[in-house]
Amino acid sequence: MSLQTSITQKNQSIFDSQVLFDSFTEKRSWEPSWLIDYRRKHWHVLNNLPQRLPKDEGWRFSNRSRFGFSKVHKLEESAGSMNLKYKSSPGTRFDSFEKMILDRPDELLTYIDASGPNLGAKESFHLIASFANSGFFLKTGNSNDQTQTFRASHILPSKSSATFHRNIIALEPFTEAILFETINSNDWNSSALLGNFTQVELGEGAKLKRVLVQSCNPFSTLHQLEHFQIGKNASLTNVTIHLGSSQSRVETKGTLLGEGAEFENFSLFLGQDNQLFDQRTMQHHIAPHGRSNLVCKNALSNESKSIFSGMIKVDNSAISTDAYQSNRNLLLSNKAEADSLPGLEILANEVKCSHGATTSRIDQGELFYLLARGIPRPAAEKLIALGFFEEIIEKIGVENEIESIRKKIEFKFES
Amino acid sequence: MIRPTEIDIDREKGNFHYDTDYAFDAGIGLDENTVKYISGVKNEDSWLLDFRLNALLAFEKKPLPIHWATKDLQNIDFDVIRYYLSQGQEPRRTWEEVPDDIKNTFERLGIPEQERKFLAGVEAQFDSEAAYSRMKEDLEKEGVLFVGSKEGLSDHQEIFKKWFGKVIPTTDNKFSALNSAVFSGGSFIYVPPGVKLAQPLQAYFRINAENFGQFERTLIIADEGSEITYMEGCTAPKFETSTLHSAVVELVALKGAKIQYITVQNWSNNVFNLVTKRAHAEEEAEVRWIDCNIGSRLTMKYPGVVLKGRKARGEVLSIALANDGQHQDTGAKMIHAAEETTSNIIAKSVSIGEGRSSYRGLVRMPKHLKNCKNNTECDALLINNESQTDTYPAIAVQGDGNSVQHEASVSKVSADQIFYMQQRGLSEPEAMSLCVNGFVNDLIREFPMEYSVELKRLIDLEMEGSVG
Repeated sequence: MSLQTSITQKNQSIFDSQVLFDSFTEKRSWEPSWLIDYRRKHWHVLNNLPQRLPKDEGWRFSNRSRFGFSKVHKLEESAGSMNLKYKSSPGTRFDSFEKMILDRPDELLTYIDASGPNLGAKESFHLIASFANSGFFLKTGNSNDQTQTFRASHILPSKSSATFHRNIIALEPFTEAILFETINSNDWNSSALLGNFTQVELGEGAKLKRVLVQSCNPFSTLHQLEHFQIGKNASLTNVTIHLGSSQSRVETKGTLLGEGAEFENFSLFLGQDNQLFDQRTMQHHIAPHGRSNLVCKNALSNESKSIFSGMIKVDNSAISTDAYQSNRNLLLSNKAEADSLPGLEILANEVKCSHGATTSRIDQGELFYLLARGIPRPAAEKLIALGFFEEIIEKIGVENEIESIRKKIEFKFES
Repeated sequence: MIRPTEIDIDREKGNFHYDTDYAFDAGIGLDENTVKYISGVKNEDSWLLDFRLNALLAFEKKPLPIHWATKDLQNIDFDVIRYYLSQGQEPRRTWEEVPDDIKNTFERLGIPEQERKFLAGVEAQFDSEAAYSRMKEDLEKEGVLFVGSKEGLSDHQEIFKKWFGKVIPTTDNKFSALNSAVFSGGSFIYVPPGVKLAQPLQAYFRINAENFGQFERTLIIADEGSEITYMEGCTAPKFETSTLHSAVVELVALKGAKIQYITVQNWSNNVFNLVTKRAHAEEEAEVRWIDCNIGSRLTMKYPGVVLKGRKARGEVLSIALANDGQHQDTGAKMIHAAEETTSNIIAKSVSIGEGRSSYRGLVRMPKHLKNCKNNTECDALLINNESQTDTYPAIAVQGDGNSVQHEASVSKVSADQIFYMQQRGLSEPEAMSLCVNGFVNDLIREFPMEYSVELKRLIDLEMEGSVG
């Protein structure tokens, strides 16, 4: 079931149409009324967003038009673009978003009204809130004493369609979980779009490791929004591997809400052709004694481009904060581009904060060493780039997963 | 809205009144007539009047940059500012009108008696002439030109017109446009090829002597192989009764030339200090901005170097001290536009009390270049729990031929350090001063000796009463 709207004007998007929204909600009359109200509310906000500034800091260095919704001709309304796997255990809930709407709307209601990372992609956030029809819901039971593993995979629709996912992860106090998430395309030649919003709420002492591997086809667009809210003494490790898509906008915000919270964010992007990777992050320290660390590594060949904009924000209340951020860009071609906007906003004085950003080509000494040992240049460059990524990959911590990701990266290098 | 009403705005009448016995006052507020008045008083060529009028249009058209800068800019009321005052304004600059804290600063700094007399001389207008002339004579022997903006653009047009407004175009930003419309005073300097000035040029008195302008315009051209060090202001506050200071400073370093530009900014706390500074560096030229910001309510200043020739080098060394009610928004811009160019930025800031200091930077390297290098370090020190610091660098690098590294850190003076020094008999403020001086010490050493000594004293003064 899909809805087709003809595009007459350039840059006009199907999401400009009230008819689209009305018919979408009409077909979802089976949803609880609060959900329809929630969608309406965000649809209203979306249509009343203040006019875009010509120079929007949240989009600095980015080619915003590449993220436009005008290329999408269809809204994919059929559910079933999620695939979930886990060993069931009492008290733990792991279901698709659509199933939750049907079976347990009350549980959903508690979490629905979350705020997004709010780092510039407002339109994407409100579109996801208005049109989300899939995604997943993960909640651990409060009696689990061992780490549980969950797997979720998102599939993009085919042929110029867009779909929106809403993911909710809530860990009860003192529970632990590992989540492996993948984002893939339905086929190898559709220019589809996924708007994906993941919210995470960690209760006291909870621990989550989340690994995301994105390998969409090279024509797709990804709007990935993530907001992690970390409670007292809870810890979150987020490892994201971005290999695919034509253009990705990734916004990641970690809010350290409780005392002693820990937030680690590691990401890598391997860019080829004219891939654009636009990443915005925020480490927001609200409570004292928090610790956050972010490492973002981009290796760029051909005409690919990466933008890293990272902010460490330490509120006046967040004394004894340790916050670090590092962005390393490796330029493998003469036409690649890396833009870096590391930022600090510090309002407390008992803090240790630092950031570093470097951009350079392959170390010529290292390259020479390998060449001198008879390794051909392309292989030597690949080895060095793989070594460059190793710091991120090893954070995954699960040996067979690490091996499969290494292979994926190698495969991309060879293509 | 206050607009000039009884002010003589007729250009001819303005010319008629061009007489040292009279005060020149463009009135309150800014419009076309203000600009025409200023131009008329200066008896300027028509191209310059056109330049000013175009700039006024640009100023009116450009919005305040509050989409990235502080909203405090909205507190500037452009309609109550006096844009041109010259001669006969003595009552506005008497010691009686100097705010008490500035007067105390002078006394406690122990500025040499002679310098104090000299500052009093600024007030009396003619005491400064001798010192000024003597210097000018020395320079003239070398063929150096050291004149005001008016003289530079009328008597030495063949030298200065070529570069005037070229490094910083009128439309660069709202405040460069404002300056271009109403500029007055400042220094125009030309150093002939191969001339290396052994002693620095000091110019703080000139601004006061020529006019009360908050909109001075400086253009320094260092011809091939020449060297010059220019010092602006001094550790004594360049106090201004007005609320807005917006300068445009353009430096041109031709092949192999070296320019060092030193600023010690210590305005009183009611001044919006919005300055545009940029240098153009040709082949193997070297430009260093050494910048120290202690005063003002809000300073927005990002000295830049456009590295236009092969092997050109740019450097910004910056110290900012933000106390209660102050926001030091400083930084640097390095635009690499030729191969093998290098740049270095070292910025240190200290936030005390409720002060806020920000670093904003831009480093750009396009893809057709090879072997460009940049190093940026910004360190911030927070003294109290109410102080704030921000870092907003932007780094855009294309191609695999260049390398950039950026590092920033925020820290505080540790309780251990203070305790250690208190054990050895220092009071807490003394210990704190010592720590802060230690933090900025390696940059202060880059200032000329007498400046660095007084900078240390100034920092001690600022630190007093800030602990506890």
